[in-house]
Amino acid sequence: MSATGEILQRPAASGGGILHGRDLSSFDESCDVVVVGSGAGGAVVAAHLAEAGLSVIVLEEGPHYTAEEIRAFRPTEAMRKTWREGGLLAAVGIGNTPIIGVAVGRNVGGSSVHTGGVCFRVPSYVHAEWVKHHDLPDLSEKNFEAAYEDVERRVNVTEVPADMRSRSTRKFVEGAAKLGIPMHAIRRNTSDCEGNGVCNFGCPKGAKLSVDLSYLPSALAHGTRLVSDALVSRVLFDGDRAVGVEGFLTAPPPYVGKPKVPFRVRARAVVAACGTLHTPLLLENSGVASPHLGRHITLHPGLRVGAMFDEPVHGWDGALQSVFTEHFHDQGITLVGVYTAVNLLAASLPGVGPSHRALVRKMPYLGIHGGMIHDEGGGAVRRAPAGREPLLTYEMIPRDLARLRHALTLLGEIAFAAGAREVFLPIFGIPPVRDPRVLRDLETGSIDARRIECVAFHPLGSARMANEPRRGVTATNGEVFGTRGLYVADGSVLPTSIGVNSQVPIMTMATRIAWQLRERLLH
Amino acid sequence: MTFSPGKRRALAAMAEALLADEDDAGALVPPAAATVDRVVASVDDWIGSTSATLPFGFSVLILVVELALPLFVVGRLSRMSRLPLAERIAYLERLEGMNIGLIATTLVALKLPLLMVAYEEGDELALTGFDRPTISARRSLPVLPRGGA
Repeated sequence: MSATGEILQRPAASGGGILHGRDLSSFDESCDVVVVGSGAGGAVVAAHLAEAGLSVIVLEEGPHYTAEEIRAFRPTEAMRKTWREGGLLAAVGIGNTPIIGVAVGRNVGGSSVHTGGVCFRVPSYVHAEWVKHHDLPDLSEKNFEAAYEDVERRVNVTEVPADMRSRSTRKFVEGAAKLGIPMHAIRRNTSDCEGNGVCNFGCPKGAKLSVDLSYLPSALAHGTRLVSDALVSRVLFDGDRAVGVEGFLTAPPPYVGKPKVPFRVRARAVVAACGTLHTPLLLENSGVASPHLGRHITLHPGLRVGAMFDEPVHGWDGALQSVFTEHFHDQGITLVGVYTAVNLLAASLPGVGPSHRALVRKMPYLGIHGGMIHDEGGGAVRRAPAGREPLLTYEMIPRDLARLRHALTLLGEIAFAAGAREVFLPIFGIPPVRDPRVLRDLETGSIDARRIECVAFHPLGSARMANEPRRGVTATNGEVFGTRGLYVADGSVLPTSIGVNSQVPIMTMATRIAWQLRERLLH
Repeated sequence: MTFSPGKRRALAAMAEALLADEDDAGALVPPAAATVDRVVASVDDWIGSTSATLPFGFSVLILVVELALPLFVVGRLSRMSRLPLAERIAYLERLEGMNIGLIATTLVALKLPLLMVAYEEGDELALTGFDRPTISARRSLPVLPRGGA
């Protein structure tokens, strides 16, 4: 391995302090804090600690692409290059459970690069649940206020103006209004969004202030070194104290047959921020044992409903997401106006050959409305028999399946109220619905749950916070029970499902963990 | 290459069926061979960029759709790729409509990546009515007239 200090002193070939691991030889470094992962958790922690004067190295398994490169990607190119498993990852459903596609980033900036930009705080009733039912007074809404404000200022959280709504979304709002369902403007982390409607695959304008454009530049300006293509395989311990990490640099795919280039980073503190799917594997591989590790995963399963109108709605012209309703929050359902890339929508239309092509031609008339459910933690992640990616399983409880089916009915009813002629439900093999009464029949009918097409963008909870080791994996300051100096700062620490988009809650949790760690290291 | 020539032929046959159209007289029109080639090559490259697990999983799905299901779904002891185009379309439509979710999912898991790649560019993208040259192109915003408020 190279001499200690080379990485921290070496000029970054890619500029901005980011080093491409695939360009490096083996190295051995030291710093105050090593952060594993550069997404909504890791980037936030790195920025706060670097700004406080601590030396920080961030190790990111995925590649680094500049914002200019990402914005030029075709959607499937973005998935192939910057999403985990090429965007084709799915949770294996156990029992009567849909197979749920799970979208997770694997790149510098993590999943924050792929969000729709939607920003919610953890709802008040969830904070209250954490305090009352999980006995976690540290996680009260009041205690989070300063961190929320800090996050929202740094990523410029603002309300989506009404003129940025697509005609598809306006139809959604009209339909909801006719049914007495109030819709509210969504808040997003954008600056000068022009409504290109493909946020998940890289903003063509560069308007979304994901962490690669907000937190990481500050971290790098304060001396952080970020190494991409650097896969951490385990945390190093001296007794119960974490003293660093080791791993190897990854080559571009295909990976088979490529030599592994090892590295080691020694540090006073280690922060795992690999996300809900990989943080448990890293901890397990490092000797951390807990019956809760890798369990209790919530996904917020979501779905889309298509609504065919008589007039063009050009759903692609407008913000990807701009309105929502919490009208059904007591039923565990959040409804949102959504859209996504046209090729993905075309691919998900029913039919084969001519029947499918006929629907594709009608896409200018197709509005899209979506919803997600506040779910129980039925997910688990474990090492797969082969390969490096984990096996994610998910067992949906009957209550949540009922919520999902009811969300479909609600979305369909809103579409009909908005004037839709046909409604396309995300149930394989179900023809377009032309009569609203059919929706209720379908909701109560016996349909194999695995015919329901579901997606999830918010896996959470696999190393949850708790007030004692027998209830979870980490304390409320993020430190892993039974260790010293090993912290978790990503979505895996959230104690329960939150029922809303998770990027601001993750950033806020990471902010609080960083603030506490900063005090500990500086004093 | 990720998939064997045989599996690529099966994917091509599936892409051909998925993208087939009708002419004004109602006769089936297969997609251009270049389109099918582009789709298969891109999907092969895409799946090949993932870990070892997914290529294995997709290989199994391809084999199931190609070899196992034609007999059970449409009563034909034939590879899917050897079915005439009209029969292939009918077979895949039957698969998608199966009440057994796992079987329907087998088809959809292959259909989604094939069609995502197909409708991402060229004439297929144009067919969607999307009014920008590429999906990553910026939207043309309405421009206020000079002196407009």
